Amino acid sequence: MATNKNDRNPALMALTSSALLLPAYQGAQADAPPEFAEAGMQYSKYKEDDITAKKAFGFTDSTRQRFDIDVAQFHLLAPVLDDWSVAVDVAWEDMSGASPWFVGESASGDPKVIMSGASIEDNRTEVSVTTRYYFDRGNSGLSLTYSDEDDYESKAAAFDGAFNSADGMTTYSGAISYSDDHIDPTQGAVPTNTTSASKDIYSAWAGVTRIVSKRAIVRFGLSYTYRDGFLTDPYKFRDSRPNERKEWVASGGYRRYFEEQNSALHVDYRYFNDDWDVQSHTLDVAWVWDYSPAVTYTPFIRYYTQHEAEFFNNLAQQDQRYFSDDYRLSAFGAFSYGLRASRKIQNWEVSVDAERYRTDESWGVFSGEESPGLVDFWRYGIGLNYIFK
Amino acid sequence: MTVKTAVAGLVLVLLCGCETVQPWERGLLAKKDMQWTPNIMDARLRSQIYASKEASSGGAGAAGGGCGCN
Repeated sequence: MATNKNDRNPALMALTSSALLLPAYQGAQADAPPEFAEAGMQYSKYKEDDITAKKAFGFTDSTRQRFDIDVAQFHLLAPVLDDWSVAVDVAWEDMSGASPWFVGESASGDPKVIMSGASIEDNRTEVSVTTRYYFDRGNSGLSLTYSDEDDYESKAAAFDGAFNSADGMTTYSGAISYSDDHIDPTQGAVPTNTTSASKDIYSAWAGVTRIVSKRAIVRFGLSYTYRDGFLTDPYKFRDSRPNERKEWVASGGYRRYFEEQNSALHVDYRYFNDDWDVQSHTLDVAWVWDYSPAVTYTPFIRYYTQHEAEFFNNLAQQDQRYFSDDYRLSAFGAFSYGLRASRKIQNWEVSVDAERYRTDESWGVFSGEESPGLVDFWRYGIGLNYIFK
Repeated sequence: MTVKTAVAGLVLVLLCGCETVQPWERGLLAKKDMQWTPNIMDARLRSQIYASKEASSGGAGAAGGGCGCN
């Protein structure tokens, strides 16, 4: 049933809008602009565990310390005129540490990592602006993102749309995006595989969201991404990858509210497959518990497992056309778990969160060589949000 | 094939087996706790970190821009 935009009831819109639409792009969640502007900032610390002597050659203080990253984020979302909103997201990252350069064989025959030596320093700034138009049965958004770091530049654009069925029970969504990336590897720390290269990333996505009951909602999505250009890691000594990659993703999500527990169950699953022979399963589960009207606790757990790329070997096969000893292309399983806590104080909301991420080849459902470069990390964050009402 | 069949079956079951929920009955569904992405900054950071440490990415919409982290 079509409604006159000028007759919209804000209270009814609040009830009916935000749960209905599948975010084609993160941030799109309503068929009406946000009632109030909101702003937030967050500081996060990302720290990888030091690599152990058992897994690395040339073990010194400067090479055992892996990446340590400080991240500051800013988010602003504001209604504009009657039917528009604008969102601005900014992120600054400051990173340092050593990373695996290549894998060699020890005297005992075990693979060991040779780290990059001197600590790598880098900074990244990302700015993303999204404008969104809302109409009676959906919305459409255009997003532009620019990311710049010492050795890498990315310019991306995305367009998305979402449309409700007449009864509002189903929402159909779609999105397309393009990214133009360029890398000029920093010279000096290690020899690089190129001095200047570029790649293009094309992506399309379609999804459907369906209300299952008064307390539950589900969504499904399919996406395809095509990467074209220099996909080799420029800083890895033994790394040569195809210049194309075709990726498919099928995903599903479920949200259910439990009134007696004042809690919502979040379950998300993703299946990933590509033409490098990588496959993966990802399962995210979270329990959002409103301990009181002002305090919310969210424990979460995530499981991830991947199949190794067809050209991955711990001791890279350099006589082959493609080869890599990058631990990120090996078979492994990963568990992460954490807790997020937030407290509302009038128009403010303060949040803290912590996450532990651990990997092991034996935790995966796909078998393969265990890479000595697998990484574990901690992440901590503190955030502040304000609603202008 | 098994995975695809299971996913297709699940989609059909869930899409067909729903009760009609009137707009005024959707209060619980509209709560912030029920959003797909309750905290946008957290979601952006987590997805970027995972994508930089794993061989998979995407699934939550169109792919965004790249970074030198992967």
